[in-house]
Formats: sequence, structure tokens, C-alpha cells
Amino acid sequence: MISRRKFLVLITASAAAIATNKALAFGESKENEYKSELSNYEWGMVVDVDKCTQCIKEIMEKEGIKDIEKIEPPCIRECNKANNVPNSDKYYYSLIRIYEVREREDAEPLFFPVMCQECENPACVQVCLTKASYKREDGIIVIDLHRCIGCRYCMIACPYNARRFLYDHPEENLRVVNPEAPIRKHGVVMKCEFCLWKIDRERAEGKDPKPVCVEACPHKALIFGNLKDPNSEISKILRTSKVITLRAHLGTNPKVKYKL
Amino acid sequence: MGVEVPKIDFKKIEGKSPGYYAICAIWLVICLIGVYAYYLQWIHGHQVTGLNNQVPWGFGIAAVCYFIGASAGSLIVSALSGVFEKEEFKIFSRSAAFFAAAMIVAAMGAIFTDIGNPSNSINFLIHFNPTSIFSWNAFLYSSYFVVCFVYLLAQFEEKKFLTRCIAVFAVGWAVLVHSGTGGIIGFIYANDFYHSSLTPPLFIISAIASGLGLLIPTYILTFKWTKREYDINLLWTLTKIMGAMVILLIYCFAIEGFEKGYMPSSHEAFLKMITEPVTPVVYVYWIGQVGLMLLALAIMLSPFRKTEVAMITSGLLVAIAVFCERYTLVVPGLSYPYEVLAGYEVVKPFHIVPYYPTWVEWAIVLGLLAGVYLAYCIGIKIFALLPEKAVKIEEVKKE
Repeated sequence: MISRRKFLVLITASAAAIATNKALAFGESKENEYKSELSNYEWGMVVDVDKCTQCIKEIMEKEGIKDIEKIEPPCIRECNKANNVPNSDKYYYSLIRIYEVREREDAEPLFFPVMCQECENPACVQVCLTKASYKREDGIIVIDLHRCIGCRYCMIACPYNARRFLYDHPEENLRVVNPEAPIRKHGVVMKCEFCLWKIDRERAEGKDPKPVCVEACPHKALIFGNLKDPNSEISKILRTSKVITLRAHLGTNPKVKYKL
Repeated sequence: MGVEVPKIDFKKIEGKSPGYYAICAIWLVICLIGVYAYYLQWIHGHQVTGLNNQVPWGFGIAAVCYFIGASAGSLIVSALSGVFEKEEFKIFSRSAAFFAAAMIVAAMGAIFTDIGNPSNSINFLIHFNPTSIFSWNAFLYSSYFVVCFVYLLAQFEEKKFLTRCIAVFAVGWAVLVHSGTGGIIGFIYANDFYHSSLTPPLFIISAIASGLGLLIPTYILTFKWTKREYDINLLWTLTKIMGAMVILLIYCFAIEGFEKGYMPSSHEAFLKMITEPVTPVVYVYWIGQVGLMLLALAIMLSPFRKTEVAMITSGLLVAIAVFCERYTLVVPGLSYPYEVLAGYEVVKPFHIVPYYPTWVEWAIVLGLLAGVYLAYCIGIKIFALLPEKAVKIEEVKKE
């Protein structure tokens, strides 16, 4: 029979072991410290709000639907298909969401997509318990699905409501499966990652990489490119046009910019 | 000639009466319902909860804050004798420390049951993100559990100096742990409802209030049912401390409310939260939080305040009110959308998303609470946690 003293000592020692293990993990070396080829890139996107608005208005007219939430523009439709985003009536899973804003009540509406803004100072990476959310050298914020515990703290911290948690089994609601893109299980968080599975492949093939939404946009309203390349289209636009970022006062410094 | 404080006799309870087994059985049944609810969540995912992609935190996280608070509050009560040299409260020191340890286990249980991918939960222990306040808290919670047990062990070994030293450390650690929990919410700068430096100190005040709110009824009923002699004045002192904390809480919440209401970017949402029944928050705020706190205060100020019924009732009301407070801290900031593009009015998607916890969420949280009380019932039977007589010990002069 174990004595009371031994029992308490055992419990204390076990818990101390767990706590110490945690403390030791503090010294974990920084991953991927080496500079790789990825550091030559800094991916960014410019959204031309006028072209976006034109696109949505055309779809509304064509389909006779005035409610933006009932419309699935090509960027969202193709993104969902390519990125294994489940289709659900109960939860909004699409990684892009179209916003409708007005300067005043009687003003013409503006439409634009809000996806992960790939912030330079990402709140999600700052708060992630397990470093499952991290920033790649090319600036893309990625979720390591094998590390994500599904605590959803990143969703709370994200200023743009750009993250989605998989509440139900995604495999039950997938119309098509793209084996190249991540196939997720329920209980983890997902977000737009600029289709990194695609842009990494295209970069390796020597092509000019583009996420699915950029290719799907019929009005060329989404301009994607390398911000570190002064000759890229996006760099030229940023040099010559006035762009804004969402919730700029927070200091997150998004790499998705909006041309009004 | 010196002064000697007589030794307190701590004794196990006999725990053989049908009443004892009935109480244990009730807690066990509630625990089992909680386990079944969690099984459903494990199988079907979080779709069995009322959460969604706009309100991804709800009842479970409110429970995490609550359990940690109750734990910190209990430990502060336990340390009253050691830290503040209030020897008359030494009778509570062992049981309150045990309660604190059980509560922190429940808090960790609430985190575990709330996460979506428990099979990856080991990452919670092996990866540390120094910029994440939650990651720091994972370290603080597990170490806090160790501190509670070492403190309890020192008390069992009757090492007076060691107990006092650990008590001081434990209170400091409890304050740190709970301030850290407040920081999880208060440091979220993206959400005007969350972002507040008042949250960590507010959590400490709530912690003491809710810890006492649970301990006072527990002690009165335990002493009564185990036929122990007890001094109602000691419990009245605890009730007075609880009352003071409730007044402080109301004050802090009024200040915070005015501040949120004052800011043009959030005043509309704040007014909607407290006036329009679009979501259940308005009821939780006025009835659950403000109403119950005022009712508890009224009971504590009434002519019957020194009766057992009054103390039990006010304790329970405060315990429930603090849970409602945690709920109103977590949920409304998510239910109400925020401004995305400055200078423009977002027409869509601009939804005030109501959140209703499902029976599964209720069952898991109540199951964890029942687990704490089941551990307490078993603990007082196998460990000498309770004093033989819960009365104020008079100092005797030593020749």
C-alpha cells in the first residue's frame, strides 16, 4: 500500500517533470534559420476595388441576385475547389469573403475580397501556442496542420477574421479533391496561404507563379507578385498608385493592399 | 513567557454514511454525462457546439477562465494564515489548497476538451512560443499545479517556516497565473471589446470572489454534514472579503463599460450588447452578472447576513455571477463585428452572430466542476484536510 507521503511526492514529481519539459522547450532552436532561396521573394497582392466592384455588379445583374452573401464569384469558387475547402450550409469555410461597403447609406456600394492579409507583423503567429502558425521566409503565413491543436486563439487574434476552423468532417463535404493541396481533418484551423502548393511548384518550374484566385479573376482585379522584385507588376503598381491596407492603425502591415 | 498557538487537529472524515455515497454518486453521474458529451464532440467534431467561425470561443473558454480563477481564489484563502499571519484561517489552509489543485486540473481539462485537435495536444507541452501569452500560461498552469501540491505537502509535514515560504510564493504564483489568463483576452489588440489592461487585475478580483463564492457554501455544508463544530464568524469574515471583491468588481466593470461606450468605434456595439436582446448576452449581462452580484450584495447587507442560509446563497450567487462575467468577457467581443475599412460602413457581411451554448458544452463544463467536487469528497476522506473543530483558536500563554 502506497503511503500518503509517497503518493503526494509521486504526483508532485510527475507534474514537475511535465513543467520542466515545458521549460526546457524554451531553449528550442529557431527553425529554418538559414537563408534559403525563398528569402529572395516577398509575395504580395493588390486588389483593384473598382474592377472587383464591376465584376460583382455584373454577376448580380446576370444572376438577378442582389445579396452579396448568396453570390459565389469565380475567385471564391475556384479557390474552394483547388484548396479542398468543404462546402457547408452551416459554416462559412471559404478562405475569401467578399465585403460590401458604402461611404454613406445612399452611396454606390464597393465590393472587395478579404482573405488572409499575410501581415508583416502577424497577430496569429504572435499568439500561436505551438508555433503551428509561422511566417515563411517569403512572407506567407502558413499553418502546420500536424502542429495545430485547434485552440482557435489565432482566430481570436486575427484582425481580419480571415481564419476558419473546421467544425465538421471536411471529407464529407468535399465536391472534388485536389491531391496537391492540403487535405485537412476536422478540428484544425485553415486560411488562405496564397496557394503555396501551386506557387512553390510554379516557381520551381521557372514560371511566373499565381494563386488560383488571381488566375480565376475575369477582370484581372487581383495582382500578385514579388514585392522584392522592382520590375514585377505589383512593384510597379505600388510605385505609381495609391493603395491602402485594412485596419492599418493596428500596425500589422498587411501585404494585401487595396487600390481604391 | 511566550505565546504559543495550539496545534490544529486535521482529521479525515469517516465517509461511510449513505449520504456521503449519495453525494459522490451524484458528482460521478454528472461527470459521466460530461464524459459522454465529450465523446460526442470527439466523434463528431465541434459541430456539436454552438460555436461558429465568427464566435470560435464560447462556454469552454469562459469555463477555463472561471476554473483558473476559482483555483487562484482558493489558494489565496488557503494562504491567508501563512502570508498574512491570520492564524484563525489556518483551519481552511489544507482543504483550500486541495481545492485549488483540483480546480487547476479542471481548468486544464477545460482547455483540453475545448481544443479541436486533442491528438496533437502534446504539442502544447513540447513547443513553446515566447511571444504567446497563452503559451506562457501553459507553463504557468502546469507549474502552478506543482506549487499547489508542494504547498499541500509542506502543510502535511507540519513544516511551519517552509509552509510560510511556499505560501508567499504560491500566492505570488497564483496572481501571476491569473493575470496571465486575463492577458490572454486583454492583450488581443484586434478586438476593442477584448483589448484592456484592466482585464488582468479584474481577473484577480474575480478570482478571489468566485473562489470564496464556491468555498463558503462548500465549507458550511461540509462542516454541517460531517457534524463538525464550526465558528460562523470565521465564515462571515470570508463572506465580508467576498462582498468587498464584488463591490470592486462592479466598480471596475462600470469603469470599463463607460470606457467602451465612450469610444465611437465601439459604443454602438456596446450599447447594442447591453440593451438589445439580439443575442443572449444582454440577459447574461443584466440578470446573470449585474443582477446576481447586486442580489448577493443585498443579502450580505441584510439583517440576516450572518445566517448560514444567507452566506450559502450569497456565495452561490457570486459564484454564478462571476461565471456570467467571464462569459460576457469572452463572447460579446466576437458576436459583434468590427470595422474593417475606416471611413466606410460595412454593409455585408455585418452580422451580430448570436451564440447559444449547446447541452454538450454545458455537460462538459458541469462534468469538470462535478469532477472537482468528487475529488474534494474523496480527498477529505483519504487525506486529513479538514480540522476536527473549525473554530477560532485562542492563543494560550505559555509559562
